[in-house]
Amino acid sequence: MNPGRRRSLRISAFVAGLLVVSYLVLGIQQFQNFLTLGAVYALVALGYTMVYGIIELINFAHGDVFMVGAFVSMWIMTVPLGLLDRPIDNPLNLGVILLIVVVATMVVMGLTGVIIERFAYRPLRHAPRLAPLITAIGVSFILQNIIQALFSSSPISVPQIFPRVKLDIAGGSIGVLNIFMLVVALLLMVGLQLFVSRTRLGRAMRSTAQDREAAELMGVDINQTIAITFFIAAALAGAAGVIQGLYFGSIQFNLGFFAGLKAFTAAVLGGIGNTTGAAIGGFIIAFIEVFAAHLGLARWSEVAVFTVLILVLVFRPSGILGQALGERA
Amino acid sequence: MKLAKIGVLGVIAVLMFAACSPSPGASGAAGGKTIKIGTELPMSGAETANGEPTANGVKLAIKQANAKNAIPGYTLDINVQDDAVNGAHDPQQGAANLHTLVADTSVIGVVGPFNSSVAKVEIPISNAAGLLQCSPANTNTGLTYPPDSLQYRPNNPDKINYIRLAAPDSIQGPAGADYTYTDLGAKSVYILDDTEAFGVGVGDSFSARFTELGGTVTKRDSAPKSTTDYTPLFTAAAAAKPAAVYLAGTTPTGMGLALKQGRTVAGFETIPFVGPDGVADLGPGGTTGATITVAGQAAHDVHGTVAGVHDLPSGSTFIADYTAEYGKAPGAYSAIAYACAQVIIANAAKAIAASTTDLAALREAVRAAAVVADNKYDTVIGPVSFDKNGDITTPYMSFYKVDLTAEGGKGGWVYVKQQAFTDPNK
Repeated sequence: MNPGRRRSLRISAFVAGLLVVSYLVLGIQQFQNFLTLGAVYALVALGYTMVYGIIELINFAHGDVFMVGAFVSMWIMTVPLGLLDRPIDNPLNLGVILLIVVVATMVVMGLTGVIIERFAYRPLRHAPRLAPLITAIGVSFILQNIIQALFSSSPISVPQIFPRVKLDIAGGSIGVLNIFMLVVALLLMVGLQLFVSRTRLGRAMRSTAQDREAAELMGVDINQTIAITFFIAAALAGAAGVIQGLYFGSIQFNLGFFAGLKAFTAAVLGGIGNTTGAAIGGFIIAFIEVFAAHLGLARWSEVAVFTVLILVLVFRPSGILGQALGERA
Repeated sequence: MKLAKIGVLGVIAVLMFAACSPSPGASGAAGGKTIKIGTELPMSGAETANGEPTANGVKLAIKQANAKNAIPGYTLDINVQDDAVNGAHDPQQGAANLHTLVADTSVIGVVGPFNSSVAKVEIPISNAAGLLQCSPANTNTGLTYPPDSLQYRPNNPDKINYIRLAAPDSIQGPAGADYTYTDLGAKSVYILDDTEAFGVGVGDSFSARFTELGGTVTKRDSAPKSTTDYTPLFTAAAAAKPAAVYLAGTTPTGMGLALKQGRTVAGFETIPFVGPDGVADLGPGGTTGATITVAGQAAHDVHGTVAGVHDLPSGSTFIADYTAEYGKAPGAYSAIAYACAQVIIANAAKAIAASTTDLAALREAVRAAAVVADNKYDTVIGPVSFDKNGDITTPYMSFYKVDLTAEGGKGGWVYVKQQAFTDPNK
């Protein structure tokens, strides 16, 4: 068996193990909460890891890109579409509206990501590592304060357009919304994997990640490739933002701070630069949180999450999936 | 380049000039002296629904006192401070604001703070300065009850400088428990607190009373305000099938979101949610940061207690006056804040009538008079007096519930009843 094959088998076994253990530990009801939260963290973590993979920048503004995505989707729903805080029962209408909201948010956020890269990070691409890190923190504050100025610092309600229909599965009642969100997140993740591994642009991304200068010598347009990476990363965060609003119901300008830190932890946990690892890391972080709440230890959940961050950094800095840097981006 | 520099200098000069020029309204009526009442409340972001109507109550009291010439020879003014940071009340900001108010020698008394966690850091500061604080809304028991209250007066343990018109949590929690058990008929309850001083305190006293009545607390959880996902908590709590939920905390610290998300979990779709005044903010739907705005359609079957009177004495023109002044109905604590201002004004008027003119002596006279046992104040909420700890002698609780069809379909809180309570432990 070749090493790649063995690696993917190991990953599959790990994912299966995580799912079985979490199902047994949490029970069906909490299992769905875990998968939903995990989907959000995974989508955000992917953006951290992609950007790190390609330009070795920890994009601390990424959590806020996710937050802005939630606000953009809320704005699209309430202003141009004029939706009220009522479920839409006609599946066709609902489907069309969700498609519009998801796609429009992803495009708007993707472009936002490209603009941020162009003006805040590209000029500093050859500067010392610390400089872009500091601009990233600056961008984070700018995004938070723009949203606070436009929408106030209060929690803002997002129209709950998705009917809260539940299905009886495996002795539990599972929300159709939870299933829908998980499916959307998984489709996006699979789409990303296919894009990175099968397309010309994906190959350009991987080559840029491995050796930027060599890739440039081989005719890869570095600026375009990095811009596309930022577009995809921010678009995925935008999709996570839509999910956040639809499912959690309320959004606030400082939402991205903790979500971003947790997603960053997820990315580190999975091995930063590794897309599969980031997705798995997102689910692990969600598991820790839901499990803590399940045990009645909600106030300890953040302690647990960030302890994991420190433990991983100290004992396994390349993440749980081990050496995968060759496949980053 | 040079032009740009001149431009920048010009802008700076204009700004400095604007900062130095006296702000309009600061110099009172011609000839008279100006004394101020400070307000120290959370005024912005998610807290707007709490602080703004409360400060408006004080503003109205000052305006009406000036119109009646309540203190001959003096004009009353206001010094407004906001302790909300990023949309939630912040004890550090409260402490900084109180130092500002102490430093303003014309401030003779302060109305506020709104939140108990803020009061804990402010009382020692006002105690050291001998400045009276009257809170319309603080309910944490230990703020006034010895021995806990002594730790807030390290400088002058014998000088009570903090009084309040709200009923303490040792009354609010049990009142909520009585209402849940008897009026709503729920015999089991799930309690969720926000880990703050107020939330934990009111949750504890609710729990004690509910158990004493014969009810069961099926589960007790604590989740800090940074929580974004409450569904796992409710999912875990659903197993014991509670008949009601008690949200021990405030909407800005997550209880509004907990209500919204809790409603989506099987077992919590229709049961009553009960909350203290941090949830029962009485803000109609659409008000920034109000519970009904945050929870939306999930805010059905929600009940709440408010630690003060609802019915004003018959013949009161307060609601009409307030509505005429601000164009909207008063908030839960507007009238109570008005009464706080009246206590300060009455004390000041008395001291000035006894020819106290020095501002420092006036400040001290206002403080000392508040807890003299036979001082009765005729206020907008009726006759008021304070016991030796600084608590109101006859605390009232009011009960409200949400009606989503009220306020023209936006949803609002409707009054259920009010009741005088005495602390069972006192």
